[in-house]
Amino acid sequence: MLSYIIRRLLYTIPIVFGVMLLTFVLFNVVGGDVSDQIAGRAASAETIAEIRAEYGWDKPLFFNSEDFFDTQFFNHLKNTATFNFGRSWADRERVIDKIKRGAGYSLALTVPMFFISLAISVCISLVVAFFRGTWFDTAVMLLCVAGMSIPYLSFILFGQYFLGFKWGLFPVYFWPDHFPVQYYLLPVLVGVVSGLGGEVRFYRTVMLDEMRSDYVRTAFAKGLGTASVLFKHVLKNAMIPIITQVVLAIPFLFLGSLLLERFFGIPGLGYLFIGAIGSRDYQIVGAITYIGAILYVIFDLLTDICYSLVDPRITFD
Amino acid sequence: MNRYWFCLSGLLLAVLLFGCAGKSSSDSNEMVLYTAHGAKIHGLDPGDIGDQTSAAYASQIYETLYDYHYLKRPYELIPQLAAEMPLISQDGLTYTIHLRNDVYFQPDKCFGKNQKRRLTAHDFVYAWKRIADIKYISKNWWVFDGRIKGLDEFREYTKTVQKGQTVDYNLPVEGLHTPDDFTLVIRLKQPWPQIIYMLAHLPTAPMAKEAVEYYGRDIINHPVGTGPYMLGRWHRGSFIELVRNPNWRGQLYPSEGEPNDFPDGFLADAGRAVPFADRLISVLIEEDPPSWFLFLQGKIDASGIPKDNFSQAIDQRRQLTDDMKRRGIRLYTFRDPSTYWIGFNMEDPVLANNKPLRKAISYAVDRDKYIELFTNNRGETAYGIIPPLMKDYDPNISKIGAHYDVARARQYAEEAKKLNGGVMPKLKFAMPGTDVVFRQRGDFLIKCFRDAGLNIEIDYMDWPTFLDKIKTKSAQMFGLGWVADIPDSENFLQLFYSRNISPGPNNFNYSSPEFDKIYEQLRVMQDCPERTELYRKAERIVIEDAPAVFILHGVAYILTHDWLYNYKPHAFAYGLSKYRRVDTEKREKYRKRFKDF
Amino acid sequence: METISVNSVSSVAQNAGRSLWSDALRRLRRRKTAMFCFAVIIVYFSIAAFLYAVDIFHIPLAVADWSRQIGPEYQPPGAKYIFGTDFLGRSVFRKALYGAKTSITVALWASLISISIGVPLGAMAGYFRGIIDQLIVWLYTTLSCVPYILLILAFALVLADKTLDVFGWKIPLSGTATVYLAIGLTSWVGICRLIRGEVIKHKNRDYVLAARSYGAGSGRIIFRHLLPNVFHIVIINFSLRFVGFIQAEVILSFLGLGEKNSPSWGAMIDSARLDLPKGYWWEMTAATAAIFVISLALNVFGDALRDCLDPKLRTE
Repeated sequence: MLSYIIRRLLYTIPIVFGVMLLTFVLFNVVGGDVSDQIAGRAASAETIAEIRAEYGWDKPLFFNSEDFFDTQFFNHLKNTATFNFGRSWADRERVIDKIKRGAGYSLALTVPMFFISLAISVCISLVVAFFRGTWFDTAVMLLCVAGMSIPYLSFILFGQYFLGFKWGLFPVYFWPDHFPVQYYLLPVLVGVVSGLGGEVRFYRTVMLDEMRSDYVRTAFAKGLGTASVLFKHVLKNAMIPIITQVVLAIPFLFLGSLLLERFFGIPGLGYLFIGAIGSRDYQIVGAITYIGAILYVIFDLLTDICYSLVDPRITFD
Repeated sequence: MNRYWFCLSGLLLAVLLFGCAGKSSSDSNEMVLYTAHGAKIHGLDPGDIGDQTSAAYASQIYETLYDYHYLKRPYELIPQLAAEMPLISQDGLTYTIHLRNDVYFQPDKCFGKNQKRRLTAHDFVYAWKRIADIKYISKNWWVFDGRIKGLDEFREYTKTVQKGQTVDYNLPVEGLHTPDDFTLVIRLKQPWPQIIYMLAHLPTAPMAKEAVEYYGRDIINHPVGTGPYMLGRWHRGSFIELVRNPNWRGQLYPSEGEPNDFPDGFLADAGRAVPFADRLISVLIEEDPPSWFLFLQGKIDASGIPKDNFSQAIDQRRQLTDDMKRRGIRLYTFRDPSTYWIGFNMEDPVLANNKPLRKAISYAVDRDKYIELFTNNRGETAYGIIPPLMKDYDPNISKIGAHYDVARARQYAEEAKKLNGGVMPKLKFAMPGTDVVFRQRGDFLIKCFRDAGLNIEIDYMDWPTFLDKIKTKSAQMFGLGWVADIPDSENFLQLFYSRNISPGPNNFNYSSPEFDKIYEQLRVMQDCPERTELYRKAERIVIEDAPAVFILHGVAYILTHDWLYNYKPHAFAYGLSKYRRVDTEKREKYRKRFKDF
Repeated sequence: METISVNSVSSVAQNAGRSLWSDALRRLRRRKTAMFCFAVIIVYFSIAAFLYAVDIFHIPLAVADWSRQIGPEYQPPGAKYIFGTDFLGRSVFRKALYGAKTSITVALWASLISISIGVPLGAMAGYFRGIIDQLIVWLYTTLSCVPYILLILAFALVLADKTLDVFGWKIPLSGTATVYLAIGLTSWVGICRLIRGEVIKHKNRDYVLAARSYGAGSGRIIFRHLLPNVFHIVIINFSLRFVGFIQAEVILSFLGLGEKNSPSWGAMIDSARLDLPKGYWWEMTAATAAIFVISLALNVFGDALRDCLDPKLRTE
């Protein structure tokens, strides 16, 4: 088993390298040099040359005949490995400082949102799975697809207008001197409601797969009650796909929510990302993409190692 | 399993409670001014600021030699860091400025503990050399470019400095001379009457060398200024808080102003010591709905009017609606020093050699409809480049400039087609944005062109790409505008000077020897009636050649609650928060009356 | 498990897998809802195809001209204006129709791109194994590490306004092309992984071994024998992924990275968000309804197709 863990660890090295290569190709090769955009309106050629030198865009991409290590790619490897993403060109602040600051705010939004919607959708999907094939199932599924089709934005606009402003139940926007929990209530609620459709659909499939298993039939045949079969057997066995889902969703939680954060003024990573897209700040977009991928690699690794601890039959393929 | 869930929810709660910095302070005697800003603050370093939002907050922290009188109109300059107005030599080339000797920088750790650092003339020289330094990559070099003796040479020198070496700021610059600590002598290459306005413009604010060296490139996060406020908390991408600067020398609220200022209440605080507010808090809100909701809830003291809520706030007679009046909200409108246009690239073969085509487009655009659709009538129809609030505005311009007239547009379009050999290639319009606001504008322009029998394709792009296209002269037509930094119309006319062709500010790549001759003559003239005549003459040449379709001049609408006093709009000055006063009791009452959390 | 492999082997032996399909079609026809949904999908596709025909042959047809002003601005839905009019007095109905063309174009191209990348790569990886397999697995594991939405946005961002140089042909990328390239280039991972798994399973089955013993080349085995036997997986996968592609178009358009010169549902929703606070709800509703109907139809049909084509998941 130890050898499995070691091999699994070694396996992440090419993956991390792949992620570095991918971000490099996207943002340095395809995206390219944005020095003239940084320089702003009416900048001279010298200013642009200066910026190119500062960001290292004047160096060759992959191959340098004079100094093998003095290439953009090698610098990129070095920088991403040390989480040094340079400075955002829009405001010259260190990108890593922005990300560190934003992560907490994003987590405070997405963690409760994720777990609340998980709990609700698992419960609903259990009930729906039990009534599968009936009109109730159809109605809920119809509602789910409707919920998935209604644009996220409508949920936000309506929630903010009615719940926040008109009825005054929640604060409508982030406010510096407020206790933080208050202004998270409304975005969390909106997020949960708008995401429910897709979640219920997904867990219904998971539950249905379990319901078809032999052990469920056996349990029913034994004469066990519906509730006890659902909660004792089905839920317990569905826990494995659910937990896998949860663990692999954690890296996404760090990234926050694009629209919710912008409309409710939560200064998290989603807001940062959406702003960076608008201003073509490749420095930030690249850094967040990279960190998202690295987190995924780490959590994927953790899940696999946990599985190997639980189930010794697993081997490295 | 239960235990895990328990741990998890505990973790969750911890994240909620401690994950983010939240400070609730509500000292009732403290006067706090709340505002919102709709765009990100990029940085608080005057030498590098190129956007209005950043300038608005940096201007509370940094000061310049001169400042605009808060109440007087037309706009008038008064000394701020200078002790008096400059002494100008006969030939207009030498400016001698005496500084106040009671100005200190804000307390900051870069000066050491308990040190009060006094402002000297050297801080100006340092700040300006810094803008000239190519290694600093300032956005504001245009302010000094080709103006001050020796500064361009200093810039050349910084280009020769190799990587790893430092630029020597002790190198003397001929045109920046400091006979003593409180005297600054500026020598110009040629007369530059607008310099006085530039000395009131934020980029020319003095910088302390110690601060720049201590913070290095992070000086944008750690402003060290001489102004009435200094940075308290700044959460980038969320909110900014400014607090009083204990080292500020103090100032009195002005006692004179326009005739209407007394009945309007702007002189009620005359002679009192400013600043009034202890803290300024401004929250970043990029979407319209939340900012409007917060204003109505009384969380924000002043606000613009979002396009979608305009009819809710302003009625057909351009007055406040009853709902707004019931809430005690006040309306201020004022003219922006701005002009927006559709520009033609005069180096594009199709457009350059076809004046009827440019004329046809000039007559095809329905300006009034545009102003109604996209600004809720918050604009005035433009006929020329100089906006109406400038004193050089030509009262007869509406008879000279082009206006919306489909019949004439069609006529010109026919002529243009003939000139082009029968067919007209599809025209391309570069739109500086990709979101819905710009798409609607694009749709509207397509319709206008279509009515005139012209075919146009809109090319939507983000702002950086747009700038790039303009700079490389690869856009055929483009939508753009200009907001003047100073109350001098030369600021607008320079946009057509042939030596300013892209990448300079002349994005039209327009070149006319006749215009250039007049421009070179007027740019060195002091303000006088003859100069106004020349301004108008130059403008008429531009209108005749039609390198652009002038669409509108902006008019700003600002709403304030009735607990906010001394909110007189100003088109050029930003550092005005020191004059604002808040009646906190009144605000509390309102917040209780209207639903609030 | 055993029964299935026997089943498919025998079917291949008889008639190159046709019975799997005819069997599935028979089952599908029995499901009334699924057939109805299929009809709805056909209608959407026909609208798109029809609008293409109108564009190509310049048929002067009022319904196809979405950019014409048909009445006053902001008219509510009614007898005269089916779904009302927008801020320039254009027909919301026509825009919604035109949106079907944009969305279906995007989803189709994206599907084609991701199938043509994912299927051959997956088949090669599964068939050859060894270093080729490792390389391909490495490639898609890397891609799948990046959160999907970030990846799509990043691709769309860097591809926007670029010019693609394909063997000397310069193709300027704008609007729709950016969107489907971004979606296509990022979403082949799932299908690649599935195909690889299936090919590994099928590789040592009798029919493949038989083909090899006749001396058939690797290419022939992969494309003539293996792929036809696993292709139903591709079909199922894409009937379900199609909705995702349509929704991705909506998100990209909303972020200003999508099509701009002709209407799309995403662009309609984006522009309607400015009208909504004023009480003009119809443009948002029309676009949402258009998305809702096709999403529902595709979901139901996709589920049914999976049930019928994939014997393992058969419920009856």
